[in-house]
Amino acid sequence: MAENEKKATFYKTYEVFSRKNDKSHAQHQFSLLAPNEEIALAMAQENFMRREDVIDVWVVARDNIRKMTSEERKQWTKRLDNKDYRNTKGYGYLRKKWREKEQEMLDEKEILSWKEVARK
Amino acid sequence: MSLVETAEQAKQDAAYKEALVEVLYQLADDDFIISYRGSEWLGLAPHIEEDVAFSSITQNTMGHAMLFYQLLEELGEGDADALAHERISNERRNGTYFEIKNGSGTYLEEPQYDWALAVVRNYLYEAFKKVKLEEALKSSYAPLRNTADKVLMEQPYHLGHWKTWITQLQDSSQEAKERIQSRLDEAWKQIGDAFELGPKADDILAKEILSSSETLKQRWLDSVKETLTYVPNGDLASELGNGRAKEHTDQLDQALATLSEVYNSDREAVW
Amino acid sequence: MYNYIEHGKGATAVSTHQEDPEKYAEFMERIEAGEKIEADDWMPDEYRQTLIKLISMHGISEIMGALPEKEWVPKAPSLKRKLGIMAKVQDEMGHGQLLLRVAEDLMAPYGKDREDIMQDLLRGDLKFHNVFHMATKSWADAGLIGWLVDGAAIITQTNMLDASYGPYQRALQRICAEEVFHAQHGEAIIMALAEGTEEQKAMLQDALNRWWPALLMFFGPPTAETTGSSKQEATIKYRIRKSTNEGLRQAYLDKYLPRIFSLGLTVPDETIHYDEEKKKWIYQQPDWNEFKQIISNNGPRSQARLRLRKIAHENSAWVREALATPVVTA
Ligand SMILES: [Fe+2]
Ligand SMILES: [Fe+2]
Repeated sequence: MAENEKKATFYKTYEVFSRKNDKSHAQHQFSLLAPNEEIALAMAQENFMRREDVIDVWVVARDNIRKMTSEERKQWTKRLDNKDYRNTKGYGYLRKKWREKEQEMLDEKEILSWKEVARK
Repeated sequence: MSLVETAEQAKQDAAYKEALVEVLYQLADDDFIISYRGSEWLGLAPHIEEDVAFSSITQNTMGHAMLFYQLLEELGEGDADALAHERISNERRNGTYFEIKNGSGTYLEEPQYDWALAVVRNYLYEAFKKVKLEEALKSSYAPLRNTADKVLMEQPYHLGHWKTWITQLQDSSQEAKERIQSRLDEAWKQIGDAFELGPKADDILAKEILSSSETLKQRWLDSVKETLTYVPNGDLASELGNGRAKEHTDQLDQALATLSEVYNSDREAVW
Repeated sequence: MYNYIEHGKGATAVSTHQEDPEKYAEFMERIEAGEKIEADDWMPDEYRQTLIKLISMHGISEIMGALPEKEWVPKAPSLKRKLGIMAKVQDEMGHGQLLLRVAEDLMAPYGKDREDIMQDLLRGDLKFHNVFHMATKSWADAGLIGWLVDGAAIITQTNMLDASYGPYQRALQRICAEEVFHAQHGEAIIMALAEGTEEQKAMLQDALNRWWPALLMFFGPPTAETTGSSKQEATIKYRIRKSTNEGLRQAYLDKYLPRIFSLGLTVPDETIHYDEEKKKWIYQQPDWNEFKQIISNNGPRSQARLRLRKIAHENSAWVREALATPVVTA
């Protein structure tokens, strides 16, 4: 088919995303065919989320998604395993240090538990 | 009229109960027959994705019919399955427009079904159902209020779905426009009885079980006029008869024969 | 199995490790290491063609497979059964949707879309599964399909859950999750009949007698020689599925025959028995010539079911035309 040739079709591809609850991010579900986004949205929920909770649905024309190409996926998603400094893993020795000073480490579990404390 | 809280309470006033069951039969039978017509469409919709979405609506609608049959069951009218399967056509109270076939042929052979009829009928039905259920929220019968409230939770998706379809088709190609318009003309001639309250209308109003036929009709007209770019001239008519007074077409008989074929082969058996 | 039937007159794969030996080797390495291939990754032509044939046939079989059960949807004998079977048949349409999407993305480089799939089906170029050409004669058939036809489908589909093609494998995860409900829906109908009146029991046995050969055929011929078109080798080579047709059939008999017998049912094969030494079921072969006839759209209900699809497709052409919108194709 010629470059940029225009044809009329009922079958445009839409990618469907949904959110399960207030805490969850939008998750890609699947794709469907529809002539426009209104019809796509009218069909999306019952095609892919019949048996799960859903609080929001997004449809996006596939043409509007710039995703990695096959090559980019291969080349851009690889990383060296030397990023401990970004994670708590690189700071594990602190636990021992604090113990010596008779203190507990403020780890992820501890810090995230503070949402309860803050309310008091 | 003070609130009637339970089925037991309703049964103590014979006139109240008689009027109440009329309303419940209307709600149950409407949902049941429209859902039956929807189930015939399964596998035959214009588009696979739509087939799947449409079927969810059909299932939900049958679920709603079940809720209303259960209210009748509580009032001693018989069990929900018997109410759905055993009653012959002149015991049914559904609006006649909702019972007509999806097109010529049957779902098994030569189903010359018309998507314009599906879109127009389902849209008009869901708009009507919303009005009727919203009025039922004010009913003197508390269990009806509660059920109406529950059904209204998932019904907006149904109305939204069909509104999308009719909105898109009514202003698209010339052919689509004509098909939609001629189905609207047909609907105007056949949907009139849906707004009736049947032989117990006076009691239904006096006992505040539901609002008047005029209210239902006016609210419905106001709502569909906001969506439809073409509204047929003239008053609504009931050319197929008055379903609320148990008058029906032979198309309902055909539907009942099909939907109860297995059930009737042995009513005592467990299926 | 969904993969032993010729797709029809479509282009057949040029066989291809010649097309680019280096890429081919890299590709084989990836799938052998368990990596998943995505739609826009390089793939050998034979792989693409095999997938298109397999998945478009699988997908269209779901769509055509909705029709025999659908015959009993409006007739289901209680409100609960009406809802259950509606949800089940809806799922099958949904499976068709998932699978056709996967096939369509694979076909896109050839400029083909959903419309071409439908036309291929209506022309008889795209085949659908043998079981869906059969008549349904009673409510017991509706239950039997859910129990034993879906049972067979579960065996073949779970065998491909690790398929090397990412989109297919992801669709199968969704499908198999729903199949668990289908199996139980079928079992519930069957259980009620098996424990019901004499008429209900007889109806069930009659259904099983009629369906038995079709159920054996479901997995396809044991060897390529039987019908001359087995695609087993390519699908196994490319890590799409793991087992052979016969391997799957044996697994099916293992799982389902004891259950069939436990309900007091029999199968119409007096010779059937488990050979302890060979560790396999010995059974009477179905008529593989009849199988060929059936899948060539000469089965009992082939033409009638195609007619339903044709009517549905043609009657709503105006809808698709009315809403068609311009797209820019690359
Ligand atoms: Fe399926
Ligand atoms: Fe299934």
